Amino acid sequence: MEIYEADAVIIDFEDAVNVSEKMEARHLTESFLNNHTVSVDIYVRINSEEPFLDEDITLINQLPIQGVVVPKSTEAFLKKLLPKFKASLDVLALIETPNAFFELNKIAQMKPVKSLLLGAEDLMSVIGGIRDESGLAINYARSALIMAGRAHGKTIIDTPWVSLDENQLQEDIKCGQTLGFDGKMAIHPNQVIAINEAFSPSPKAIESALRILAMHKKKGSMRFSLDGKMVDKPIIQQAQNFLDKAKQYGLLSGENYDL
Amino acid sequence: MKTISVGTLESSDCLITLKSAQTLSIDIDSVVHEAFYDHIKAVVEKTLAQYNIEKIQVIVQDKGALDYTIIARLKSAIERWREAHG
Repeated sequence: MEIYEADAVIIDFEDAVNVSEKMEARHLTESFLNNHTVSVDIYVRINSEEPFLDEDITLINQLPIQGVVVPKSTEAFLKKLLPKFKASLDVLALIETPNAFFELNKIAQMKPVKSLLLGAEDLMSVIGGIRDESGLAINYARSALIMAGRAHGKTIIDTPWVSLDENQLQEDIKCGQTLGFDGKMAIHPNQVIAINEAFSPSPKAIESALRILAMHKKKGSMRFSLDGKMVDKPIIQQAQNFLDKAKQYGLLSGENYDL
Repeated sequence: MKTISVGTLESSDCLITLKSAQTLSIDIDSVVHEAFYDHIKAVVEKTLAQYNIEKIQVIVQDKGALDYTIIARLKSAIERWREAHG
């Protein structure tokens, strides 16, 4: 079963499920995953509070899933939970409380934590900011995740845009993509195509990166100008990183582009 | 009379109601009745057997639920039933 070409799906036990229906959510998830094969990575967002938290952990340790999304991740909460997860589970830390931003460096260093996810709506509800498609209210939060994630080699996934307005979605995608996020959560299947397009290297950008590396090889130099733009070591490194990503996405066909 | 209902009447879901009874009876009202009545009945019987339940009335109002949904809804109903009635 393919799911709208999303790379992964997060099944939610937390805010999307009424308090009175937590057991139903666990049964539906268990029954589905044990009876159907899916071609994408499945993650489960567990509850952050008892009595649901323990029951969620017991279940996810038995499910054929890639990992777990920990809501309201803080250093202390993760330290408490990590020993309870089976070792094969990837942990995706959802960063959505002010405290977490003062602990990001430590959270990003935790070995089972594979990704940092931004949860902007919960964050706004605490700090009182007003989020719009300009991204202004969450610019610091986004940047903080990028720095911590890059410092410790973790993937960084941007917060979802909760309105179904396509123009606003495009603006919001651009904010996160420009800052350096690796991808973005969708809250509706209709958002997946736009997100995938934005985060995939475009043919034009691939062409440009290939030209930079070709010129670098030809000149044997780290400094030259190309199309009116000064190129030096960091620019060449960016082009290399970009092509590595394009290759990872299957968008490069065997060209020799290594430095 | 003891009654527990779990699920919804939305498309691709089902509403399962349990009532106390002296024998086992399974009533199925499905939008795909003709093609799947026997199949749904077998899924319900198998799940009840896992819980060793022999005396109960199960009412399935099915809106085209897949097996996994019927199983999950029935398991939830049984556990709610046990919570409520010991």
